[in-house]
Amino acid sequence: MSLFWSVWIMFLVVLNMGITFFLYLWAPRAKIPMREDGTSGHVWAHGVLREGVRRLPLWWVVMSGAMFAAGFTYLVLFPGFGRFKGVLHWTSHGELAHNTEANDAKLGDLMRRFSLYPIEQLSADPSAQQIGRRLFLDNCAACHGREARGNQLVGAPNLTDDDWLYGGTGKDIYTSIHDGRGGVMPPWASLGEDNVKNLAQYVLSLSGRPHDEKAASAAKPLFTTCAACHGPEGKGNPAIGAPNLTDQIWLHGGSLADIETTIRGGRQGHMPAWSPRLTDDQIRVLAAYVYHVSHADHASQP
Amino acid sequence: MAYRHFEAIEKNVGLLGILIAIMVSIGGLAEITPLFMRAHEVRAPSGVKPYDPLRLAGRDVYVREGCYLCHSQMIRALRAETERYGHYSIAEESVYDRPFQWGSKRTGPDLARIGGKYSDQWHVLHLMNPRQVVPQSNMPGYPWLATARIDAQDIQARMRGLRKLGDPYSDADIASVPDAVKDKTELDALVTYLQGLGIRNEPTTMPSATPATDGGEP
Repeated sequence: MSLFWSVWIMFLVVLNMGITFFLYLWAPRAKIPMREDGTSGHVWAHGVLREGVRRLPLWWVVMSGAMFAAGFTYLVLFPGFGRFKGVLHWTSHGELAHNTEANDAKLGDLMRRFSLYPIEQLSADPSAQQIGRRLFLDNCAACHGREARGNQLVGAPNLTDDDWLYGGTGKDIYTSIHDGRGGVMPPWASLGEDNVKNLAQYVLSLSGRPHDEKAASAAKPLFTTCAACHGPEGKGNPAIGAPNLTDQIWLHGGSLADIETTIRGGRQGHMPAWSPRLTDDQIRVLAAYVYHVSHADHASQP
Repeated sequence: MAYRHFEAIEKNVGLLGILIAIMVSIGGLAEITPLFMRAHEVRAPSGVKPYDPLRLAGRDVYVREGCYLCHSQMIRALRAETERYGHYSIAEESVYDRPFQWGSKRTGPDLARIGGKYSDQWHVLHLMNPRQVVPQSNMPGYPWLATARIDAQDIQARMRGLRKLGDPYSDADIASVPDAVKDKTELDALVTYLQGLGIRNEPTTMPSATPATDGGEP
């Protein structure tokens, strides 16, 4: 703050407090001429109301005095009087740093304990589950849903089943959260609409669903192109996140129309990287929570 | 001063009004004037550039649709906020926002650092109908943005206006507008704007990205 504005503020503060404090001290001592009937002679409403002469009530005097004391104390302790920083040297970012430090100290023991277990084991810890759920609701639920069941519209996988696009170990989940994932299926409209429809029938046949035999067998040779990512048997590839086509789990919808749309237009899945938005400790806890919800139904496993 | 002075003030309502106005204005003169006069001293930190054409168009859609009525863009220096939203906002981040979108009304979450938190596709689905991705949401849908086109000349006029106010747009920047907004809808523009929030203007004291460790295995 420049000297000019510092002096400007100091001047106005002194002026304001000075005028009001002077009036506070002096006004009650002013002599008010009193008429014989005990009034000041001021009348309102054609003489119906007449102004008596009374002392100021004690509560008013005390509370006004307390207000001056509070204002003065504030200006001594906190920043407010121009450049003067206040004897406490309080700042909002200092307060934040202090609170963060205090909170970290509280969490420190817990985080040290968490760091002793692998994520799989951490997933059984009730404190980790509780913290993980908070983080999940704030950061992950927008796509994966509050109950982690996924959303086919945005291509967010269901996290409560045991099917994993990029692997389901604690480390895999940690990496997916930390670095994000990008799944790209190219569009195949260039194959022609007939081939797209036939391929969709073949994809249906992979998971043993009702399909048109003739169309499926016609598309079988074409699947060699798809096999580059989905594997010759359509079982997918966790290294690049190519989904398994032989199960009943569909990332972008499993109706015939959905499958045709997927083949025709391709799909792009984007899981953002959560580092540095979340700290490593938070990501570990989050991974443990995801591991927990995916194993909640079969609790006998580690 | 004596009683007669009080009496003069008390019996002259005009004088009373003037004196009240003087006393009340002292607070404003002390608190508002210095910040107001020094507002021009707030400079963009290095690396913060004025909005590119598409983001500028998106920002104007944001303002037009009244997003600020439910979403603030100011993370306060309180732990509960920095835990959830990231580093607290600083004045320098908003130098190219006219008007700034700080706000204090949060029916929805703060958006100051929303950029990159969700995918583009998520934003599209969410803006078309928020219930598609967040079933509990009470935010309205904005489906008409998907069909409204961006008018390049309009954006160029806005950029020339902002240049008069001091934003460092070059002639080349303004000439690039038709290409930048070609075939773009207002939905594209708004998503681009949202995806840039907090990404390209965060304070340099922010922690940098840490490389993935071994999965945190002990």
